[in-house]
Amino acid sequence: MPSNNSKFWLKNLARSSAEWINGCGPLSEVVVSSRIRLARNIEAIPFPHWAKEEDLKNIYEVMQQLAQENIIFRKFKLLLLNNFTPLELQFLVEKHLISLYQANGKHPYRGCLYNQEETACIMINEEDHLRIQYILSGLQLKKIWGSINQIDNEIGKTVNYAFSEKEGYLTSCPTNVGTGMRASVMLHLPALVRLNRLNEILKAIAKIGYVVRGFYGEGTEVMGNLFQISNQITLGLSEEEIIDNLEKVSRQIIEQEEKARRDLLKDFKNYLEDQIWRAYGILSQARIISSVEAMELLSKLRLGVELKIVSQINLELINRIMLMLQPAYLQILAQKNLNASERDIQRAKLIREKINPMNN
Amino acid sequence: MLCQICKKKEATIMITQVIGGEKTELHLCKDCATLFGDKFSIISFPQFNLDDLLSGLLKAFDLYSQEEGRMTAGEIKCSNCGLTYQDFMQTGKLGCSICYQDFRGQLLPLLRRLHGNSEHIGKVPLQAKNKLDKINQIKRLRQELQEVVIKEDYERAAQIRDEILKLEGVTKKKDAK
Repeated sequence: MPSNNSKFWLKNLARSSAEWINGCGPLSEVVVSSRIRLARNIEAIPFPHWAKEEDLKNIYEVMQQLAQENIIFRKFKLLLLNNFTPLELQFLVEKHLISLYQANGKHPYRGCLYNQEETACIMINEEDHLRIQYILSGLQLKKIWGSINQIDNEIGKTVNYAFSEKEGYLTSCPTNVGTGMRASVMLHLPALVRLNRLNEILKAIAKIGYVVRGFYGEGTEVMGNLFQISNQITLGLSEEEIIDNLEKVSRQIIEQEEKARRDLLKDFKNYLEDQIWRAYGILSQARIISSVEAMELLSKLRLGVELKIVSQINLELINRIMLMLQPAYLQILAQKNLNASERDIQRAKLIREKINPMNN
Repeated sequence: MLCQICKKKEATIMITQVIGGEKTELHLCKDCATLFGDKFSIISFPQFNLDDLLSGLLKAFDLYSQEEGRMTAGEIKCSNCGLTYQDFMQTGKLGCSICYQDFRGQLLPLLRRLHGNSEHIGKVPLQAKNKLDKINQIKRLRQELQEVVIKEDYERAAQIRDEILKLEGVTKKKDAK
């Protein structure tokens, strides 16, 4: 339920971590996380960008009631985003609980209903009335589909979804119509980047209707060799086909990345080890570090962990640092506003403390 | 000038978009243009987002229909939410689910262009599924009714008629809600 004491849940969210952080999912040497989101709207009510305030309120309240009454949402929390500061909203984006679109939205009654494990999250009054998303670590698209499908069915018992036999689920933007489904995987591809083999692969992916994006999805930059691959086509394919295809594409890229890693190890083992340990050295000693540099070095360290060259660190720690070093997360942790140079100092301090907990 | 996407090859193709009166130019090499210009595939370029591309495409469609001497589609208005097709062309966003019915003629070619295929074959929500099942059942019963009338089996015909009425009654009650 929406808490009046936003400091309370904010503190909680700064301390808690999502399931995908644990880095234990299948094929997590390359796949950081898998995600599915479904775009859903309610029949005949104008889409959020075109709706009146009372429509938005109505939708928010329907979800509020559902969250209170339906047992499936027992462990969910509902946030009303109206009164959140830009920093708090940015923090939720960095935690992958809301989208950039949801954070930048101007209309009232934007909400976020998320579960304790931070695997499931329903954005209310985003671009569509509802955006249901589910994230797990590693390559687990089928499992995610099972869980998100169940949540979707439960909501569908209460609300009358906008749906047509021919066009499927009707969405605010025609690029999402049909299944309303966007399935994606976050891949760590340092070896393919290093050996300049990625462009060829990306070309092939685009030709079969898949898209590559940055760390936060649409319109964001690629950082730390992390690439998000997702389906572009949502109409004329079933949900299972979309998932199957994405999984096949992912497995092929994983295979290529693993091959590239073997090639690197074969031909440039000393160089590679040097790069990884240097990254470790800088991260554990730096006093000032930008997010771009930190992400680059963390990518090298992650590769070191994935190749079992570095054993004193695990993927969970790297995922956790990667999240916490972001601008809003840093400021929420510090409980004060920090300018860019203050953040670089704070970031270096946080990374040192996480990487060598004994020395600090 | 180098291609703005691969930053390696010489840019030979220029894509100009006019969005909200603002003109943006994108210089691409032949390979990147085929890859990204045509397929709507985006690689994280802030100046190259999907909404802009979509509204660019929508304008191209409208221009095309004007060239053919037809009336511009922009004046059509959704009977439920009042959004005009012109509004849609500017933002790339529809106003409500009824827009899909009222703009169907304009949307179908666009959907085909975006998705390659314009018929949904995925999940059907439970409520819609129940309704569809009922409609299909009524269709089947009507067929059967015709058959038994030809056979002059009036007793069975009366039964079927009652079943149809019952089913239709339920459907209508649900619609009225």
